[in-house]
Amino acid sequence: MQHHIDKKMFHIEILSPKQKSQKLEEDLASFADKYRRAFDAGHVICIPDNPMGNLAFQGIELIQELGLPVHGDQVSVHINTFHTKRDLDAMLTAACDLGISHMLVISGDGSPRLPKLTGKEVGYDVEAVTSVELLRYIRREYPGKFHIGVAFNPYEPQDHELEKMHRKVDAGAEFITTQPVIESHPAVESLWQFGLPVVIECWMSKKIHLLSECVGYEIPEDTPYDPVSNLQTLMAKYPKCGFYLAILGFKTQFPILKDVWK
Amino acid sequence: MKIVVCIKQVPATHEVSIDPETKRLKRESVEAEVNPFDLYAIEEGLRLRERFGGEVVALSMGPPQAQWALREALSMGVDRGLLLSDKAFAGSDTWATSYALARAVETVGAVDLVLCGKQAIDGDTAQVGPGIAAHLGWPQATYVSHVQDAGAKHLTVTRMNEDGHDVVQIDLPAVLTVVKDINTPRVPKLRDCRTALRAEVAVLTADAVRAEPARIGLDGSPTRVVKINPPPPRGGKTLVLDGSPAETARRLVHELRMKSLV
Repeated sequence: MQHHIDKKMFHIEILSPKQKSQKLEEDLASFADKYRRAFDAGHVICIPDNPMGNLAFQGIELIQELGLPVHGDQVSVHINTFHTKRDLDAMLTAACDLGISHMLVISGDGSPRLPKLTGKEVGYDVEAVTSVELLRYIRREYPGKFHIGVAFNPYEPQDHELEKMHRKVDAGAEFITTQPVIESHPAVESLWQFGLPVVIECWMSKKIHLLSECVGYEIPEDTPYDPVSNLQTLMAKYPKCGFYLAILGFKTQFPILKDVWK
Repeated sequence: MKIVVCIKQVPATHEVSIDPETKRLKRESVEAEVNPFDLYAIEEGLRLRERFGGEVVALSMGPPQAQWALREALSMGVDRGLLLSDKAFAGSDTWATSYALARAVETVGAVDLVLCGKQAIDGDTAQVGPGIAAHLGWPQATYVSHVQDAGAKHLTVTRMNEDGHDVVQIDLPAVLTVVKDINTPRVPKLRDCRTALRAEVAVLTADAVRAEPARIGLDGSPTRVVKINPPPPRGGKTLVLDGSPAETARRLVHELRMKSLV
């Protein structure tokens, strides 16, 4: 993971098509195009797992079905706790077969349409499976197969968030990816204590108000925001970190990435 | 076992509005989805097919765009989809709708079992399933939460009631309406969704199912909606957790996680 940072490889999030798409083939073609462009440019492709509880196709099945290239280092799939045990195992086995080596394990967002893993299924006596149990399960069942990262939320009460982070690290986390950070956040520096590579999420949409729910306060819709400028600020502030680009614009922003992180 | 699952396309929003003139739901420009309760009926049909063999046919009545509901059923694994669609059906109430669906079931022929969700989330009447049974002259079991066993000529099912549950044996052919406790609907795979998009959805007209004109559409609908009022707002539900602080905290976290609030 550290070599992603050393080699200045951005983590580029590519949202997968939604299950309900009525123009699925068009959406798949767009996904594949973005994937290949990011791949060819040497970045790390990150595919979320049903973000916000919206049903979307899983990253691993997209790679399989679309025949997309995989270089273990350049693909990081997200896996959350809203799967059946059978589907989870199928995904992890397929990831091994494809040679996908990086994974971000998160608790995730549920919805009535999504099943939830139980503690009993993954072999832990807990009322609700979180990223900690999921991480432990993957470490136990697929030893040495994946480099697994975990999420950090600087907007949560920090004593609780750091206590969770200790448990995630104890469970075998190898890198940490934050929620979106605007310019800087003091909580990020508390992560240095873990001695793990840290990847900071940068929100690349101009619609900064969409982060209101994430940060926990209302951001007015007309708030001016320059994503590229924010990325440059973050890179200057956190020179030893990697950067996860969410909602990246492939028409205008992607072409200039090579000049942003030289 | 030949199974017909009746499904309905409903507005995918809780912000439904009602035409003040016609007193009917305004369905234009609203994203649509399969009635959530019908997903459980589809899943149960698929599980019964896995247990006992046979065929599962998804049947829906509606305008041409209702084909998307059938395609979702196809992506989950039903064998074929039938769309009952004809201008002659316009304005049908639950009685006329259940008559038309019953005619379609008879057109399919040699059906052993009809499955429906317990109700649709738009009209909320829970009348169409029982109406189909009435028009076919078949026995019915409503609010079914478990299919225990099946013989050549009967099913043993558990049905929920206000005080608990009943275990009943029902002769085939029969109609069941199911509740969401019965199973966890599967999430379709990408490959199945792509196949479903290319699949043929047969369209049945009123003539094709030999529906009598006087029994469908407005002419066949005895229901007259004379006034609609919004229900009074629901009061907040209080959940009291007792026990030790550690246990209470654990249960609180569990409750919040199950609602995807943390």
